[in-house]
Amino acid sequence: MKRVKLQEAIQSIPHGSAIALGGNTLHRVPMSAVREIIRQDISNLKLIKTAGAIDIDLLCLANLCESVDAGFVSYETQYGLANHYRKAVESGHVKANEHACYTVISALRASSYGLPFMGVKGLIHSDLIEKSDYFDKVIDPFTKQEITVVKAITPDVAIIHVHSVDEEGNAVIEGPKYEDVLLANASKKVIITAERMVKKHFNQAIDIPGFLVDQIVLCPRGADPTSMTKRYPYQHQSLKEVKSLKTKDDLDKHLKKYEYQDYLGSRGYRSW
Amino acid sequence: MVGKITNVDIMTVAISRLLQDGETVFHGVSSPLPMVAIQLAKKMHAKNLVYLNIPGGTNGQMSKQNKTSTASHDLHYMMSSYVPLTEIFDLSQRGKLDVAFLSGVQFDRYGHVNASVIGDYHHPKVRLPGGAGSAVLIPTAKKPIIWRSKHDKRTFVEKCDFNTTKGNIYRYVTPLCVFKMENGEVVLESIHETSSLEEVQNQTGFDIKYDQIRITPSPTSNEIRMLLQVDPTRLRYLEFDQKDIKYI
Repeated sequence: MKRVKLQEAIQSIPHGSAIALGGNTLHRVPMSAVREIIRQDISNLKLIKTAGAIDIDLLCLANLCESVDAGFVSYETQYGLANHYRKAVESGHVKANEHACYTVISALRASSYGLPFMGVKGLIHSDLIEKSDYFDKVIDPFTKQEITVVKAITPDVAIIHVHSVDEEGNAVIEGPKYEDVLLANASKKVIITAERMVKKHFNQAIDIPGFLVDQIVLCPRGADPTSMTKRYPYQHQSLKEVKSLKTKDDLDKHLKKYEYQDYLGSRGYRSW
Repeated sequence: MVGKITNVDIMTVAISRLLQDGETVFHGVSSPLPMVAIQLAKKMHAKNLVYLNIPGGTNGQMSKQNKTSTASHDLHYMMSSYVPLTEIFDLSQRGKLDVAFLSGVQFDRYGHVNASVIGDYHHPKVRLPGGAGSAVLIPTAKKPIIWRSKHDKRTFVEKCDFNTTKGNIYRYVTPLCVFKMENGEVVLESIHETSSLEEVQNQTGFDIKYDQIRITPSPTSNEIRMLLQVDPTRLRYLEFDQKDIKYI
């Protein structure tokens, strides 16, 4: 059914798509998929994330982003700022639509509820209201008071890396789920990459139901070098290497190193 | 006594003392100092403090595995329930979040916070990481606390380049001092014993207001002992440049 190779899943993403990426900063980010997007040179992407780091930074280095909607874009403390993202915004190549993390959540909830916008408190004190296309003020018809609203965000595709998925696409995430279930509900299409595939999940709490999922890809170590709960921690040396990448050539070499691992699940390797 | 006490220890203890028993307290990504201060408060005087974090591990404890990230599954260690970020924000929106820890790059005298850009918003000289939750948490949490590992004229400025959010800030804790807001203006609450009024004024881009000079209470030996226990790997020092660390 929906099981495809990594290359096929990514090929199905048109240029100019709005892509929501699962995980958070250095954790459970669908990195195999991100690297494959760069290999296939899928450009003019509109990225959506609450708190991003390596994913957004690499796609900016590859010059594939048009805009980034996020509350926070930076590696955590010791790894410093997302410099490629910074440069891309400062040079005008990428449009930064700054959100509060919660406004990304609210915009995705609006999409998930089938509504055009969502009310959010607190934003009234921010200059972002003036500068961002996503925020506005309206009068609450019931209390006649002013309230700030955020426009719905409906990603064309969500890519989420999970611990295991079964043949029907039912996905299980161990540890923190971040906003990934919401992403699946809010997006037009869902691609699941998974550490492990099983024939059928029995009697297990499912985080993302299979009927919402369009494609599943087996991707062992698909979050590497970010962390995967109970499987592997984030990889210090690889993150340091990523931080040292300067040019498109460096990036290509970096991707080459990961090629064997990224395609492992797509080469007939079976885990069930 | 155990080792030398630094201004980072003073900051950690000062933050921990701002937290009361039973309060709901949240920190986000890149927040090692608040993470340690919360753990300390829970061991010292605020056993029933409800600790909330991005991975959703309510009352999670720091373990030996805890690395430098403050958004990882490590904080699920010994957690009492799973409350994800979406619901923590909801809590704040309906007025039930007591404390939120946030930071930024510029702060001005009127309580504005800039975590967005230096220069023009659409054509920035420097694009900053972004305010994360600030724009909704600072106005809606009861006691938003700002901490920053630097205190200089580029940080505390006359006017922010951009206002990511403003107002309602309970305390600012810096390597030099503690500020609070009074009648819409930043005023000096106390100076760490590792600093001086002169240094605070010289490193602040606006005139310091104060009614009297107080010294930030020193950590007790019990607090220092507990601090070494909850943070043996010194995660609290992660954000600090060596030159900003001062010894008593």
